[in-house]
Amino acid sequence: MLGAATKKRSEPEEKRAEMADSRAPGATSTEPVTKAAGRPAKTIEARDVNLFYGDFHAVEDVTMTIEPNKVTALIGSSGCGKTTYLRSLNRMHELTPGARVEGHVALDGEDIYGSRVDPVAVRRLIGMVFQQPNPFPTMSIYDNVAAGLNLNAKKVSKTQKDGVVERSLRGAHLWDEVKDRLDKPGGSLSGGQQQRLCIARAIAVEPEVLLMDEPCSALDPVATLAIEDLIGELKGRYTIVIVTHNMQQASRASDITAFFNLDETGKPGHLVEMGPTTELFTNPKKKETEDYVSGRFG
Amino acid sequence: MPEVARAEYLEELANLEASALGGLDLVNIALGRTLEAVEHQDVELAQLVVADDDRIDGRYLEVHQALITLLATQSPVATDLRLISSLLHVLKNIERMGDQCVNICKVIPISGNEPPADREMVELILKMGRHTKTLISQAKRAFEERDVEMAQDLVRLDDVVDDLNRDCFRLALEIGDDADRREWAMTMLLAARALERTADNAVDIGEQVAFVVTGLFREFEDASHPS
Repeated sequence: MLGAATKKRSEPEEKRAEMADSRAPGATSTEPVTKAAGRPAKTIEARDVNLFYGDFHAVEDVTMTIEPNKVTALIGSSGCGKTTYLRSLNRMHELTPGARVEGHVALDGEDIYGSRVDPVAVRRLIGMVFQQPNPFPTMSIYDNVAAGLNLNAKKVSKTQKDGVVERSLRGAHLWDEVKDRLDKPGGSLSGGQQQRLCIARAIAVEPEVLLMDEPCSALDPVATLAIEDLIGELKGRYTIVIVTHNMQQASRASDITAFFNLDETGKPGHLVEMGPTTELFTNPKKKETEDYVSGRFG
Repeated sequence: MPEVARAEYLEELANLEASALGGLDLVNIALGRTLEAVEHQDVELAQLVVADDDRIDGRYLEVHQALITLLATQSPVATDLRLISSLLHVLKNIERMGDQCVNICKVIPISGNEPPADREMVELILKMGRHTKTLISQAKRAFEERDVEMAQDLVRLDDVVDDLNRDCFRLALEIGDDADRREWAMTMLLAARALERTADNAVDIGEQVAFVVTGLFREFEDASHPS
């Protein structure tokens, strides 16, 4: 079943128990974030997904399978709905007033939009990293990483928390840079470090999937490379979906690429072509894709 | 957005293609002179072909460098990437074909200013040369027109050249015991071999046409696994 309840849940206790994942959440597990590379992650299957903002039809009829332990890049021009689609994969789209979702999204066969599924639990299993690094700026580096754990219902011992923080920071390739200043504010880090801190925060709660919305667009090339290396490593443990405007980044960092487009402004975005990244960048099947990846239209 | 995005880049790429394929015209000129030198035992014309190979090499270096620059600055992908990759191949083929003309021209002084020992063998070589010129022209046209069928037809023409090469070999075996005649036949065999390789290079260009169009590379003919 999907997800564990959080302390903010209002459902009756028995329902919470019913929803609780048999796997302990990261905060209470004795071995979170130490999952061996190569463990099977989960598959996302989206079928006939249509997304709306009020009357505006933003994304039309997207059907795709996102494979585990692979990096899937979503590319396409601005306004084609790729970010909107990404946000529908962990039920963040519905947080926008007036927004709604039609269709099916399943994580290893379980409908994440099921009537008894807690969206908060979904978001814990399917973490998100945003375009602008958004650590809690005044909160310490340590507390930034532990933030997800602190929201969890069960009490976590200091020792357990120390373990999770260290393993998450190591997982995000940030540990060596911050281990001597864990009490300093998150806002004191550089942009690239802040983004890795956000990744550490995301993986601290042991998600199955990591969604990344242009995670490098605010970073310089060196920090970008560090994040891309990290993405390559994280895919051994997670299913990763990344939205990027940077075509080179898609070709460097992803295994599968999905190209979204829209016929004209005001029309819904749709999935044009999806396939192995190398194929999409050397021999795309559709002319629309060819024109886009070749930079022949904007 | 402009009507055609990246117009300058596309124009540059088109110019480089024309320039690279223009190298095939240079090869055909060199090959024409080479055949004339073989026919008339013209050592001076042969030396001119050797000296003129710098033009073909120069074309190779110039277009090669420009393509590398385009790769570095424009990040080409998809068809553009395949085109650039294939042009790099084609340039190498062109450079090799130029060298084969030089190889032939270099053996002409060895064969001496004496009249050819065997007229029939010279005729065979000239015939090979004419067929090879047709292959080169057809390879160029197939590339320009992205015509895979025309490119595949190069194999048929190449088979003719291969047959003529075998005929040359048989004639050389039957040339007799005279040492001078045998030496002459040996040098003519080297020339025939160079022409046969030149025709193979034209077929290689045809394979690149198929790659540009389909995105799949496959050899039209596999010498190590003949059908």
